[in-house]
Amino acid sequence: MARSKVGSAAAAIACCLLWTTARAAGSECTATSDDCVATGTWSLSVALGAGVRTNPVVGGKDIPIVVVPQFSYYGKRFFIDNLDPGVTLFDGESNTLSLVASPGYDRVFFYRSDLQNIFAFSPTSFSGGKTSYVTKPSPSVQAQTPDAFRELSQPARRVTYLAGPEWTFKHGKLSGQLDYLHEITGRTHGDEIRAALGVPLGSVLGGSINARAGLTWKRAATVNYYYGYPGLYKPGSALNPFVKLGYSRPLSSKWRFDAFVHCERLGNAIADSPIVDRHYVTTAFIGATYVFHK
Amino acid sequence: MRLMVAAVGLLFASVAFPARNPADDGIRLQISPRICTLTGNDKECATPVRAQWRSAHDESLCLIVLQRPEVRHCWEHYSAGSYTMDLVFTEDLVFQLRDVSLDRVLASEALRVIREALQFRHKRRQPWNIFD
Repeated sequence: MARSKVGSAAAAIACCLLWTTARAAGSECTATSDDCVATGTWSLSVALGAGVRTNPVVGGKDIPIVVVPQFSYYGKRFFIDNLDPGVTLFDGESNTLSLVASPGYDRVFFYRSDLQNIFAFSPTSFSGGKTSYVTKPSPSVQAQTPDAFRELSQPARRVTYLAGPEWTFKHGKLSGQLDYLHEITGRTHGDEIRAALGVPLGSVLGGSINARAGLTWKRAATVNYYYGYPGLYKPGSALNPFVKLGYSRPLSSKWRFDAFVHCERLGNAIADSPIVDRHYVTTAFIGATYVFHK
Repeated sequence: MRLMVAAVGLLFASVAFPARNPADDGIRLQISPRICTLTGNDKECATPVRAQWRSAHDESLCLIVLQRPEVRHCWEHYSAGSYTMDLVFTEDLVFQLRDVSLDRVLASEALRVIREALQFRHKRRQPWNIFD
């Protein structure tokens, strides 16, 4: 059933890509702008401020966010956007088709030293991860475990990378992204779909407000790698929707003010895990971004 | 016969009305650098530019930059001179040596701006990314 759903989704994505590729004309990027960049150039900025990402794992501490470095390089085809390298196959006026690689996201809740936490790190980012977790009582688990809580020895969760096609587009003020990724590091062999839409809402106090909404679909194999436990809990696939509200205001040519709140609802297959005790993950940040090179 | 008349006429004209050639005055102007290349993220050239001139005999003249009216450096009764200025520019600059009344051009050189053939592409749109 899950395979047929993923197959249908993949077919839909492929159709969209073919349709947009066939329709799109050549790129209309003729100068550096908010949307366009000269090939062969790189950018680096660092956001300094205060923020937090809540941790849904039982006993897991919330992740403070103090420094958020952002780096990107764009060649004619190749690019790297923080931890995501990619190759652009087609860059049209409204649509872009790329092959990208991106790290598995869920590891951030288990290891403070995960690269994605380093890219949004706090003074404690470099500490190691935990290898055991307290489980919460759940109906299925309670039947097998008389104690409401117990300590579980957890398997290591390695760094994983996923890769696959990415379609991004812009239609008027609306921007969108759709990724179909497969795990390529041999840990989960799972698939993941990432989809999101973003739109500016308007200007307030010299800055701009933008809203985003999207979802992440993870195949059961991926969910099981992070949130399952042998003989105790074997989850199915999970669908995590999210919304984000952000505000950005230029302060000078090098500085800007940034703030956002991102709220993700964990799919039932994740939230029902005995090592998860929250249904939502909230990430919030407020601070100033310094642009070293643009 | 007609050809000969024309040739004689040209010879006479060239003797009676010699063409104005700055090099004829023996004034040589050199600028360094002569080319500025904009690459990648470069939006403008910002560089010290040195202008040097030399003449067979003493001259009273001024150095000007056509696109920079504020730049003017003059010498009186010198046979050589140099002047260095810090300039920020995005287009070609023309350096000229003129007489002190600025009416007559004695020498001229251009500093060319060459833009590397830039190609542009879209940045990655990534609304899925929390920090993007």
